[in-house]
Amino acid sequence: MSREDQLRKRARDLLAAREVVMVIGYRAGRRPGTTVPAFITRPEDTDKLIFNDRCGANLTAYLPRIPKTAKVAIVAKGCDSRSIVALLKEKQVERSKLVILGVGCEGIKVDGQLSDSCTTCGYPNPVIFDEMVGETRDMTETSDVSDRVPDPLADLESLSPDERWHSLMEDVARCIRCYACRQVCPNCYCPTCFVDTNNPQWVGKTTAGSDNMLFHLMRAMHMAGRCVECGTCHRACPMGIDLMKFNRKVARIVRDRFGTVAGIDPDEPPALAAFDPNDRQEFIK
Amino acid sequence: MKPGIITAEELARLVTEWARAGAVYAPVRVRDWTEFRRISSLGEADFSRINTKLPVRSLLFPQCETMFRFKTDEPGRVEEPPEPEPQVILGVRPCDAAGIALLDKFFSGQGETDTYYQRRREKTMLIGLACNSPADTCFCTAVLGSPSGTRGLDLLLTDLGGRYLAEGDIAEVCRRFGIGSPSLAEAGDADLARKKELADKAAATITQQIDTGKLKQLLDAADNHPVWEELSLPCVNCAACTFVCPTCHCFDITDETRKGSGARIRVWDTCQSCIYSQHASGHNPRATPASRFRNRTMDKFRYTVDMIGEVSCVGCGRCGVECPAGIDIRETVETLFAALGTKQTKDAVQKAEGKTGKQQ
Repeated sequence: MSREDQLRKRARDLLAAREVVMVIGYRAGRRPGTTVPAFITRPEDTDKLIFNDRCGANLTAYLPRIPKTAKVAIVAKGCDSRSIVALLKEKQVERSKLVILGVGCEGIKVDGQLSDSCTTCGYPNPVIFDEMVGETRDMTETSDVSDRVPDPLADLESLSPDERWHSLMEDVARCIRCYACRQVCPNCYCPTCFVDTNNPQWVGKTTAGSDNMLFHLMRAMHMAGRCVECGTCHRACPMGIDLMKFNRKVARIVRDRFGTVAGIDPDEPPALAAFDPNDRQEFIK
Repeated sequence: MKPGIITAEELARLVTEWARAGAVYAPVRVRDWTEFRRISSLGEADFSRINTKLPVRSLLFPQCETMFRFKTDEPGRVEEPPEPEPQVILGVRPCDAAGIALLDKFFSGQGETDTYYQRRREKTMLIGLACNSPADTCFCTAVLGSPSGTRGLDLLLTDLGGRYLAEGDIAEVCRRFGIGSPSLAEAGDADLARKKELADKAAATITQQIDTGKLKQLLDAADNHPVWEELSLPCVNCAACTFVCPTCHCFDITDETRKGSGARIRVWDTCQSCIYSQHASGHNPRATPASRFRNRTMDKFRYTVDMIGEVSCVGCGRCGVECPAGIDIRETVETLFAALGTKQTKDAVQKAEGKTGKQQ
């Protein structure tokens, strides 16, 4: 049985047995080759479910929106499952209300190319799941893929602080403040985002470089220790801004300074929300 | 005025002249898409793409615009921005131009005139380029447009291969820029036949059909239909669809003050944002994602029909291309027809209305 057939069967069984009220997965979009998040509630609709290398949306982003009263099933790639871990840590989802249908991911394709975030993915298999649908991905092969990629931050890190600032300013100058990056992000569940606070107004509403940069830097700071580098924001950006640059840099700083990687261990305290007297704090002079 | 023929060389010469006298904008390659940018020669333009990333409206109604500047210790005195310079926008696709015709109605058609839009509009000439090969996301003919439509345009060019058929008043474009108009060769019967052939072929590639009259009727009775909840589930409520839309025109106004001087600025706003409809009291009449999704669809196919007598979707397909969730407005419309057009759903409507109380 193909992976899609297995997925459909499991979804159908779960709904038919009323173990879950909804299965969150993917269906084919109107345009050939596109996919749309699907919210299946009837066993007879489960044939709509698909899974392929175009299923790039991080479905975990939808979980905080779903009423927590009933149990739902969710299709989770490696990165999606790490986002579930991140949300578990932050008490945004209840484990007992989730059936995680794990899928091993071959990497997401955008216009036939491997999505940038996937070129450095170390977790194609779910880190947390109730059952796997289809084969798990061979990790050795994954490591090879990662090894082949030159350090994606090498260019950024080789720049002087001034050059780095100008380079990032150039990137964010294209931003049209549509907030697609924020809206598709599982971590962005705040009822009122700092950019939407207008009394006082924290961030200017224009697309001037300083306003755009403030949005992106503050968002990056809020992602520290939480972002799992799924790349869904990068793929969502209509203006093609390289948001992985921010995501990877922040993740690297957190790994180097706190020795943790986001979205792996549900029991590990969030890096920036826990105090340790042994934290390095040489920046306080 | 009879259609003329303008060669690529002649067009290039005109662009250079216009660019000396004012601003010329055209689609220019940026990364792997095109955007309207100021050009000084035709060689910079790239007409290979159907749609630019952002619609042409961004040149008439920019995302950020300073309305006036002020000093806090000089109450009542404002410094207005300089008059816009004349601009010609080249390579405007007919759907985008139809969008401008709609913006004309919204911003200056009835009642108050939006001076900021109007003063740019009066100095703008739109030169269209017919779509000989529409994209698979195009559906202008389904919303009463055409890949060779002239609505909103001062001049429409059709690429006949190295030479363009020019329909409209090129002399007026040149007069605005204070330069002599070219004497174009009159188009021959073969040119006109070729143009018709290209236009018919282009229109035939678009198969999507929307009965906009019927859709309006269905939407009139669909305020509380459960289909909105179903349709809105994948929507993440970002602003991508509204910001790339040729006809969306909502804006927000904000004052930015620093050290005694400031500016009143207007920026694009979006009905997909939670704070768009948030009242000062904290009450939000469109608090749910479903209500915001409904608003945008209703606006395009129902509200503007009531307001200005026509639907405000021009079928460019940008919203579907840019939607991070893969939502395609053509599919939304199809789902609406399926859900609203059956008896079973009428019962569902009544049930839903009974539960929530009919609004409006």
